[in-house]
Amino acid sequence: MKFLIALAWKNLSRYKRRTAITVAALAVGICFYIWIDGWLYGAELESERNLIWYETAAAKIMNEEYWEDIETFPLKHVVADPAALEAGLEAAGIAHTRRTVFAGELFFAGGAKPVKMVALNPATDGSVYRLDRSVSAGSFLDGTGSGVLLGEWLARDLGIEVGDPVVVRTRTRYGAFQTLDLEVAGIINSPNPVLNKGTGFVSLESIEESMEMEGSVSELALYFPDWQQPEDRLARIEPLLAGYPELKLLSWRDLAEDYLMFAKMKQSGSGIYLLLVFIIAAVGITNTMLMAVYERVREIGMMRALGMKRSHIRLAFMLEAGGIGFLGSVLGLVLGGIITFLMVRYGIDFSKMIGEMDIGYRISGIFYSAWHPAAFVGGFICGILASMVISLIPASRALKKGITDCLRYE
Amino acid sequence: MIKVTEVSKDYKTGETTVHALKKVSMAVEKGEFIAIAGPSGSGKTTLLNLIGCLDKATSGEIYVDGEPVSGKDRKTLALLRRNRLGFVFQSFNLIPVLTAAENVSFALSLLGIEGKELKERTWGILAEVGLEGLEDRLPGELSGGQQQRVAVARALIKKPDLVLADEPTANLDSDTGRGLLELMAELNRKHGTTFIFSTHDPMVMDFAERLVLLHDGQVAKNGRVKQ
Repeated sequence: MKFLIALAWKNLSRYKRRTAITVAALAVGICFYIWIDGWLYGAELESERNLIWYETAAAKIMNEEYWEDIETFPLKHVVADPAALEAGLEAAGIAHTRRTVFAGELFFAGGAKPVKMVALNPATDGSVYRLDRSVSAGSFLDGTGSGVLLGEWLARDLGIEVGDPVVVRTRTRYGAFQTLDLEVAGIINSPNPVLNKGTGFVSLESIEESMEMEGSVSELALYFPDWQQPEDRLARIEPLLAGYPELKLLSWRDLAEDYLMFAKMKQSGSGIYLLLVFIIAAVGITNTMLMAVYERVREIGMMRALGMKRSHIRLAFMLEAGGIGFLGSVLGLVLGGIITFLMVRYGIDFSKMIGEMDIGYRISGIFYSAWHPAAFVGGFICGILASMVISLIPASRALKKGITDCLRYE
Repeated sequence: MIKVTEVSKDYKTGETTVHALKKVSMAVEKGEFIAIAGPSGSGKTTLLNLIGCLDKATSGEIYVDGEPVSGKDRKTLALLRRNRLGFVFQSFNLIPVLTAAENVSFALSLLGIEGKELKERTWGILAEVGLEGLEDRLPGELSGGQQQRVAVARALIKKPDLVLADEPTANLDSDTGRGLLELMAELNRKHGTTFIFSTHDPMVMDFAERLVLLHDGQVAKNGRVKQ
């Protein structure tokens, strides 16, 4: 075995240029894979954070029928007595805030756009969401008056500025038409593009009467720091709903089902890049090893004449290809690591390119990578194993020849 | 030690069948120094290949120590070659990326010998073939004669019963070829290793104790050439 390893290593230097080209091709493939994977992984992590901080919270309690028909925001199915639940949440140390989400149409100076209206409690909203940190112009809601916060893209589309009066047409809890006369208090520029695109925020107090809410809300949003593994926490909250069969506890994973499905699809896209690495390895290594094998047919004949096992000759070529795979993988990891480092630190600003386009991720602007050790390990192992496995094809072809044919080979 | 009984070997090249060997019979005793001679295409290499278990006869039988080899499987034959036979090829067939010592020790490492014994035997045999001080040279840094000496050392390091050399001097000038044959003859006398080598060079034939002359795949003459 020691001899085989030494032979494989020395054979790598036999055709330096060819080895270097194959190593470089493999390195580029692995580097590309690590770059893309880290990028997608970074986008996923940031999207998840932006979902929690701006959209879904860590979990929500809402009426089951409201949830089933959430696309239409049916306010007739509400959390009728949020105060009763809040006491339990308080005791359990779970941060919470009330919100009421309803559909509306925003009118301004002859223009109109459908909007998702969110009524919130400005005093407690910051304990669950980070909306208050995303005001780019004007000020956050103060809980009184008829102020409204609008997403930046929405405001830009309608030419709205802070201080402008706007009208929202909607329906009350009982289905009656209602118009809300509001004044733009601030503009929201959030890292989550969904908010920038078509959302308006008002205070709960300002719609309490006009929407006939009678103290009810459409949801109680919850936050806990261990939101990435919410199961234990949810199991502890669940008993609080024992007396309320109409209510449902939903984790952020339930609420962001569509996004998660999209992210999973992107992950399988990352698998395609790994396949690409495999193809690069296949083409490069097959070519290199095929040439190596055919240039060494007589040598193979000599080895077999001296009684070397066919399996050992095959192993010698596998080790040689494994050496190429090792060098290519290491170089690919280093290059991929450098690119990932730069991407983690500086990212790439796609805001101009993407504009207001919905690309699925909850990111608007700079895309950062994240370190994903699994991709490094996977790329490294895949690079070496693929190279070794692929070398079996040319080696086996050469070993099919008779010994005397090999010795005669010109 | 080796008995060849009515061995024939046919090759098919397209539609044509070439009868490389026709019912060849001969015997080889331990310690002999035999030349298989004949013009090009007479079947010398084919006979060496069959004796060396590198190829299978179309008909007839070859016995090694009374055991027929025709029924043996590939692995058994590989084991026989690894343990008991040594080969020297016309074009040396050294591995260019390995040093002289590594090329030689390769044959021994196939027997699972490693460490101090491997090194001592390698250095010892290289000194015996006159390559002391050249152990770390690559084949490309050696002359043709030196390379063939490395090949001889590789064949002998495992102390085989039989060394088969296919035209070992064909790629060497006459002085170098003579030197190699003298070396082989000396090793034959010293270690009692049996040598069979093929040649079409009359000078080389003179070195043999016994000459088997092939003509058109048949034994034309088989007898001692010197005492």
